[in-house]
Amino acid sequence: MGWRVIELETHDPFLNMSIDEALCEGVRDGRSPPTIRFYRWSPSSVSIGRFQSMNDEVDIERCNELGIGYVRRTTGGGAVYHDLNGEVTYSIIAPESAFPKGIIDSYKEICNYVIRGLANLAMQAEFAPINDILVEGKKISGNAQTRRDKVLLQHGTVLYALDVKKMFTILKISQEKVSDKLIKSVEERVTCVSRYKEVSIEDLYAALLKGFTQGIDYAFGKLDESESERAHELAESLYSTREWNFSR
Amino acid sequence: MKGSAKQKVPGGKLLSVKIEYNDEIESVQILGDFFLHPEESLGKIEDSIKKIKTSESAEKIAERVRKIVTEEGIEMIGVTPEAIGNVVKLAMVQWDGG
Repeated sequence: MGWRVIELETHDPFLNMSIDEALCEGVRDGRSPPTIRFYRWSPSSVSIGRFQSMNDEVDIERCNELGIGYVRRTTGGGAVYHDLNGEVTYSIIAPESAFPKGIIDSYKEICNYVIRGLANLAMQAEFAPINDILVEGKKISGNAQTRRDKVLLQHGTVLYALDVKKMFTILKISQEKVSDKLIKSVEERVTCVSRYKEVSIEDLYAALLKGFTQGIDYAFGKLDESESERAHELAESLYSTREWNFSR
Repeated sequence: MKGSAKQKVPGGKLLSVKIEYNDEIESVQILGDFFLHPEESLGKIEDSIKKIKTSESAEKIAERVRKIVTEEGIEMIGVTPEAIGNVVKLAMVQWDGG
């Protein structure tokens, strides 16, 4: 199977999510090759899981003040703060048949690409079911998968830098709880590449690219015109709408 | 009356339920960071709980959920019918302001 790899790009939250969906449709219809893409978020944004409540999870007023975006994902999972300079996100979109049938097994296989990527930076990481990757017992990557019409989409984020205080001003955790103690506890449970290695975010991307493409047949590519058009259409008609983002 | 409750599913994800009820459950919203395939089926699970008498047990609610999950071939990850039954019952006795 020949893969297309779309190199690190930066998009707004709506387009980031709608590109994934346009590619799922393309793979479903046999118009798009299986694709791995890497991207960042500008503006920095929060994405929430499909079944979360935007108002329960995100301080929308604070996001608007700070110019931080917000979007509901098509995948389940939790709320994630995607800092423009704090992480690299990946998506993998391919026929379901390319991966193990079991959900956890397929998470494990794809998370292993991330683990290989981190190993390229001499970091030892491990898969922690259901959908996390840990370094020294602390979460460095969260991942979310969906399957629809025999197409598998998994996207996930690898933390490069971590600003817990900023995260807490955006994610809705009662301010009383944002005590030093809680911040310390998050810092104890979550980690990022820059705590271990003096590398740039581009170095992290290069390491992940190598991890994802090891042993596969691939070529670098871009979205074609119809994929790009569909992604823009979905961004406008779905992912940027209040109906979608505040549906729960 | 309104009620809501949250619980971390053992070995799973966070599950939150908001309900409106009188003698029976009138509306229910299931929220959380779990996974469900296909995602659209959450509405069917929520519908399956409506109109259940509030006096029914958590197991009875779980049974309804289990039935729809089997019928529709729904895959649940990080959440279970039992957990939904338990949290719905819990939501009837508390209001966490959510």
